[in-house]
Amino acid sequence: MNLEDFENRVLPTKHKLYRFAFRLLGSSEEAKDVVQETMLKVWNGRDLAEVQNMEAWCMRITKNLSLDKLRSIQRRTTHSIESTAEFHHEGLTPHEKTELHESMKRIDQLMAALPDKQRQVMHLRDVEGHSYNEICEILELDMNQVKVNLFRARNAVREKLTKLNAYGL
Amino acid sequence: MDSKQIEQLLEKYWNAETSLEEEQELHRYFQTNGVPDTLQETAELFRYFTHEKNKTFTDSDFDKRVTKHIGQRQGGKVIRMTNWFQIARVAAGVLVLVAAVYLIGQEVRKSSPIEIADTETDPQLAFEETKKALLMISKSFNKAQQEVVKINLLNEAQQKIERKSAEGENKPSI
Repeated sequence: MNLEDFENRVLPTKHKLYRFAFRLLGSSEEAKDVVQETMLKVWNGRDLAEVQNMEAWCMRITKNLSLDKLRSIQRRTTHSIESTAEFHHEGLTPHEKTELHESMKRIDQLMAALPDKQRQVMHLRDVEGHSYNEICEILELDMNQVKVNLFRARNAVREKLTKLNAYGL
Repeated sequence: MDSKQIEQLLEKYWNAETSLEEEQELHRYFQTNGVPDTLQETAELFRYFTHEKNKTFTDSDFDKRVTKHIGQRQGGKVIRMTNWFQIARVAAGVLVLVAAVYLIGQEVRKSSPIEIADTETDPQLAFEETKKALLMISKSFNKAQQEVVKINLLNEAQQKIERKSAEGENKPSI
């Protein structure tokens, strides 16, 4: 891989990697650090392996670096809602914007409360739209584990959503 | 797509049995405005997914920073070549500086005698001016010489005193 290849195939994945790292770490700064480390790691290992799916490969490195980071700081982070990106929705009244913001925040918290594996699988499938095979490759899990985790994640979210709705929160 | 079909699809979704295409269909459906009230919270979930997917991080220097790091971590050969390039750059700078100093110096040397020659047009007048200047210098010399004569007087007097005192000291010893 030369520099041009890198700029065309690896650098553009940065937003996706950032979203995944942020989902795992819950901190914008740490997620950015992980993305940068991932880029350098991919570049340094460019001649070692012939990578077929570059994006999945980058995601896998991001996952490993994020988990290393989590372990090293020895704390289980939850999403800091303040540091999530600003919501930009044009053509809405301030009231509608606040409502939208509120509902996003609620779901963000629901997802943050899921166990690690379920959260990872749900993010990769429902946010990023990856196939089961790609998720297996990224998370280094077998197909069965991926499906079970996704099933549990969706059911937990469904249950919580219904509860929230029933209590009118 | 009617709401019955959507509900069936949703049931499949909750059981994690939908394909990617079917999930995309659900995403599209919940982006529209005609979602019934009973599905509002599910719509919120799907809108959240779409919103999250569009999230980007703002760091305009990121690409530059990464490519810079990569440049630093390239193999030895490349680094050595960059060093030669650096040396060549400095050498070129020094060369330009030396050439500039030489050329400017030459210009100055060329232009200055012409300026002096141009101050007088009449040779006779120039001669008079030179004579005046030389006379002034010789006058100053003469003046200085007179002062020196005075200092010489003092010196002579001092020498006489020294000689006398030396004689005075020598006499008793004889």
